[in-house]
Amino acid sequence: TGLSDHEVIRKRLLIDGDGAGDDRRINLLVKSFIKWCNSGSQEEGYSQYQRMLSTLSQCEFSMGKTLLVYDMNLREMENYEKIYKEIECSIAGAHEKIAECKKQILQAKRIRKNRQEYDALAKVIQHHPDRHETLKELEALGKELEHLSHIKESVEDKLELRRKQFHVLLSTIHELQQTLENDEKLSEVEDAQETIMEADPKP
Amino acid sequence: MEPATPLALPLDPAEVFEALQQLHMTVFSQSVSPCGKFLAAGNNYGQIAIFSLSAALSSEAKEESKKPMVTFHAHDGPVYSMVSTDRHLLSAGDGEVKGWLWAEILKKGCKELWRRQPPYRTSLEVPEINALLLIPKENSLILAGGDCQLHSMDLETGTFTRALRGHTDYIHCLALRERSPEVLSGGEDGAVRLWDLRTAKEVQTIEVYKHEECSRPHNGRWIGCLATDSDWMVCGGGPALTLWHLRSSTPTTVFPIRAPQKHVTFYQDLILSAGQGCYVNHWQLSGELKAQVPGSSPGLLSLSLNQQPAAPECKVLTAAGNSCRVDVFTNLGYRAFSLSF
Repeated sequence: TGLSDHEVIRKRLLIDGDGAGDDRRINLLVKSFIKWCNSGSQEEGYSQYQRMLSTLSQCEFSMGKTLLVYDMNLREMENYEKIYKEIECSIAGAHEKIAECKKQILQAKRIRKNRQEYDALAKVIQHHPDRHETLKELEALGKELEHLSHIKESVEDKLELRRKQFHVLLSTIHELQQTLENDEKLSEVEDAQETIMEADPKP
Repeated sequence: MEPATPLALPLDPAEVFEALQQLHMTVFSQSVSPCGKFLAAGNNYGQIAIFSLSAALSSEAKEESKKPMVTFHAHDGPVYSMVSTDRHLLSAGDGEVKGWLWAEILKKGCKELWRRQPPYRTSLEVPEINALLLIPKENSLILAGGDCQLHSMDLETGTFTRALRGHTDYIHCLALRERSPEVLSGGEDGAVRLWDLRTAKEVQTIEVYKHEECSRPHNGRWIGCLATDSDWMVCGGGPALTLWHLRSSTPTTVFPIRAPQKHVTFYQDLILSAGQGCYVNHWQLSGELKAQVPGSSPGLLSLSLNQQPAAPECKVLTAAGNSCRVDVFTNLGYRAFSLSF
């Protein structure tokens, strides 16, 4: 049947995969053994015996080779397992580093945002004049104001004084005027009495 | 040279209609599932499509993996905004907010779990909801949009607890400042307002268009996009995209891009922005443009970064806008592929 052919071919390929013909050699060995048993002369027998030995050693050699290859494969497998585990570890480590870096990025972004907010406010503050300057100006203005108010006070005092002096002057003038008027009236009355007495002498 | 053979045109009116619909589609919003493996996208026809990111990113992804697993009709108007909690998908657009269960959403004929409408002052017009924001500490949702108010809704009970008034024109975008906790809102009136949730009061107002460094009157004063990172805020839209220091209310860096930006977000030490023009821009806080990555839509409206810890292999940036495609950037530096409605 087709299936068993397939299996047979598969098995033959597996056994005789390296193509050196070991399978064929073992079959030939049987034939050559029979030939050796049936050999006539000593020489023929010996040469046949040698041939069989060489075939056997060839078979042993290829078996040895296959065993070594098998060993090597096992060790390669172990090696690969080890490398695989190492790579897995480093992948996990890289994942952790990535997560850590992401956190750092977020932190750095927050810092950048804060810095930019600070800068924005600082720009606005710069537009306004310096506080020290303004305070100094305020102080200077205050002093000037004081000085000016002193001057104003002294000027007002002077004005008051002058006013009072004028007042005294004016009232004195007024008094003098009154006195002069009184004197004139008095002298007029005296003059009038004198004329009456002259016009009418004593009888 | 051979004359080009004419393409076989689909004469079937249904196919023509579908092709036209695809052509005129705009994807407004995106949201990643809590497990990180699915992406929901909402478009201007009121549909929500669920894409499987894990399937599209896997090594044996085919063309069908880039199509939605399921598409359903969610709202009568465009789906402007979506967010996900740890079990629900919340979508909003036409004045209502609806909740869907992520576990059920992949089944055919999925129905919304609930729908709520914030208390509007007039019952005649129903203003659209442009932005949703989850406050995980309070388990509440903030909605904002056309009625110029921020409504806060408790997710347990569904009741609307507060309405924050202050904007004089409709609100485009919301952001949460977790430390304080404060909500930032940006609107058409050109102001970014900070609201303290505990006192329900406006604690700070930044009128972006009044600052010479960033105002661009020819574009308008509207604030289209907002993102915050505790002490810092970046906003853009009509005015130039600018980085602000919140405590001193000073603009520190103006990003040199002329196109108005529609979505911006902080990511690690970068600021990602997208808007008019097909690019996703990567900025450093100093104002330098680190990268400009082209997408496949002529304009982008939303960016989504999948940072769900449950699916680190699906950590991608997705961008969507004026087309039926959602670009997927696996490494932020280039567009890997696009999902499509």
